[in-house]
Amino acid sequence: MLKYLFEKEENIPQGSAAVFFGVSAIAWFIIGTGLGSFNAAKLAFPDWFHGLYALQFGHMRQVHVHAVIFGWIAMAFAASMMYITPALGNTKLWSEKLGVWNCLLYNLGLCLALALLWSGVTSGREYSDHVWPIDLYIAFIMVLPWCLNVWMTIINRRTQGIYTSNWFFAACMFMTVIVFLVGNLPEFFHLTGLNEAYMTWWFAHNILGLLITPVAAAITYYIVPKITGNPLYSHRVGHLHFWSIVVFYSTPAAHHLMSSPLPEWLKSFASVEGVLILVPAIAYVCNILLTMQGKWRMFVENVEIKFTITGVLLAIPLNMQGGFQQTRAINWYIHGTGWIVAHAHLALLGFSTFAEAAAVYYGMQVLLRRKLYSLSLANFHFWTLLIGFSLYWISMTIAGLIQGAAKIYEVPYVDVVIAEHPYMIVRWLGGTMVFLGNIVWLWNMYMTARAGDEVPVGRQPAELAYGR
Amino acid sequence: MAWTFSRPLFSMATEDQNKAAQHVWEHESLGGIAENNNPLPRPVIGLLILTFFTAVAITFPLYGQRPSAAIYADYVSLADSAEVQKIMNDTSLSPDVAGERAMALIESSLAKFDSPYEFQRTQHPISMNQLKVIAPAIIELQQKGVDLEEYTVIGHTVDKANFEGAMKEVNGEMVPERKQPWWDKGYRIAVWWFVLFCAAVIITVKRLPHFTWRPDHTIAH
Repeated sequence: MLKYLFEKEENIPQGSAAVFFGVSAIAWFIIGTGLGSFNAAKLAFPDWFHGLYALQFGHMRQVHVHAVIFGWIAMAFAASMMYITPALGNTKLWSEKLGVWNCLLYNLGLCLALALLWSGVTSGREYSDHVWPIDLYIAFIMVLPWCLNVWMTIINRRTQGIYTSNWFFAACMFMTVIVFLVGNLPEFFHLTGLNEAYMTWWFAHNILGLLITPVAAAITYYIVPKITGNPLYSHRVGHLHFWSIVVFYSTPAAHHLMSSPLPEWLKSFASVEGVLILVPAIAYVCNILLTMQGKWRMFVENVEIKFTITGVLLAIPLNMQGGFQQTRAINWYIHGTGWIVAHAHLALLGFSTFAEAAAVYYGMQVLLRRKLYSLSLANFHFWTLLIGFSLYWISMTIAGLIQGAAKIYEVPYVDVVIAEHPYMIVRWLGGTMVFLGNIVWLWNMYMTARAGDEVPVGRQPAELAYGR
Repeated sequence: MAWTFSRPLFSMATEDQNKAAQHVWEHESLGGIAENNNPLPRPVIGLLILTFFTAVAITFPLYGQRPSAAIYADYVSLADSAEVQKIMNDTSLSPDVAGERAMALIESSLAKFDSPYEFQRTQHPISMNQLKVIAPAIIELQQKGVDLEEYTVIGHTVDKANFEGAMKEVNGEMVPERKQPWWDKGYRIAVWWFVLFCAAVIITVKRLPHFTWRPDHTIAH
């Protein structure tokens, strides 16, 4: 990477920025899930490790969350956008050099941000935990150059039309900048009370709803037609998906604060819009699954499709939960319990991660012009991720229901801790499986770069048989 | 950008625009990807309509909405009546039994008169113990002469928790421009939001060639 920092633009190979972002993303995924495994172990076995202040759960939780969101998820998005956006515009990335610098400064910024969180320098607001200098660094050094590359590539495209994925990429990056700057206003201007709570959850909700889930969906809009060779089922359903995301997903936030003294009308409005996220969800899932018509054998045979479609299928329970868990009746029961933790992991480790893993698998093969080194290792990665995630999700959902019941019936806290213990162990096992699978993934991608079969010019990796 | 409204549910684009769109659609390869022009399957449209009604129905807070302080004003007045006080002060009854009987008497008295709060009262029954807790706050607000419908009972407190912020000056006093009816806690805005969304998406989609047109992908791919 370093040798390209001061190279002329024309001397930097196309796809460099995407490859660097992709490798960084996998590395951060390993770090993030490793931290998650460590945290889960502390919850399962509280006496297992203590003594070092910086490694206490209160510090480590935030580091895990931000390593995964900003390290794995966001960097995998950056990698995907930096090869998909130009590909869809029949052009090249606006500036590989900017992309390479972006990747370097992104990694450095993230290291700094996590180090500060680790040492206890935090805003104290969940999901917007960073202090304001880091917020500004993230907005203007990490995200804005990325936006610029995506927007300028779309502006300089060689096609008249803009494919669905690129609408999402461009719009989501725009909305993310707005969400990030507005959502962190409590940090910039020391807003307190309800304003602080509302802004904090507007930020947290919309980082998920206007960045993570729609960009993951946009990736699948590219991967499925590209690999199956089928046309996207419907351009017009893509419109429905896109605009319903913008309209319905941007308005909730109060539904995270149903028991707060916010005006009831705001909570009701947010709650109705919360259920209406099923509109984009239904449109999206239909569009992708109908695109698969006649190519379902690839769900078994092709690694990228296997990951992508699993992610799309996980979007169904994700949106069913998301749509209804914020209504007054259900929220009353599950608010503040492990159910929410399970739901967050369904979004990030389920739907989003499977889609992104597919994009990174596919992108690395295309950009390196190498066929995947080992199908067996990729399948191992898939199953450790799926089984590990499922163990996590199911155990935490059950734990959440136990906590909910205990909350309503005022069961003593220590009894709840005892009742949850087996589920905490399963959670740790699941998270650790994901972590171990990711190490295998990194090895597989490293070997792909070194020893994968070369993909001839004019051919797609998916057209070649797996070697191992 | 020309528009045609002769057949708005068929197409809002002119014939020339549709032909130009079809030409681009068929002659352009977006990174090797093609797109079809299918409509949503009809069962899915039904599902979406069902989703909207579910969204409103399931979030309509029949059981979750906090009560307005106004619905308890008559309870507070009747609690001071001689008949109710007689029951409350009856030392032969336990406090719980006395409270239950006193509340039964209040409710039977209220049932004799028409009230705009009848439905809300059935949704938010109150015990004598709860009434005792909120009564001082309600009396204080009555003495101030404020509109109790603007105040909400939240646990043991009575607060102005649901309101619309726009105020106007009347006789030197600032009063709310509009008061929310009890049944509309954000539903009208939700319905309008949905209607405007549908209108916007219909306009967007009807600017595309009609869904009966199937693009030929062999031209560009």
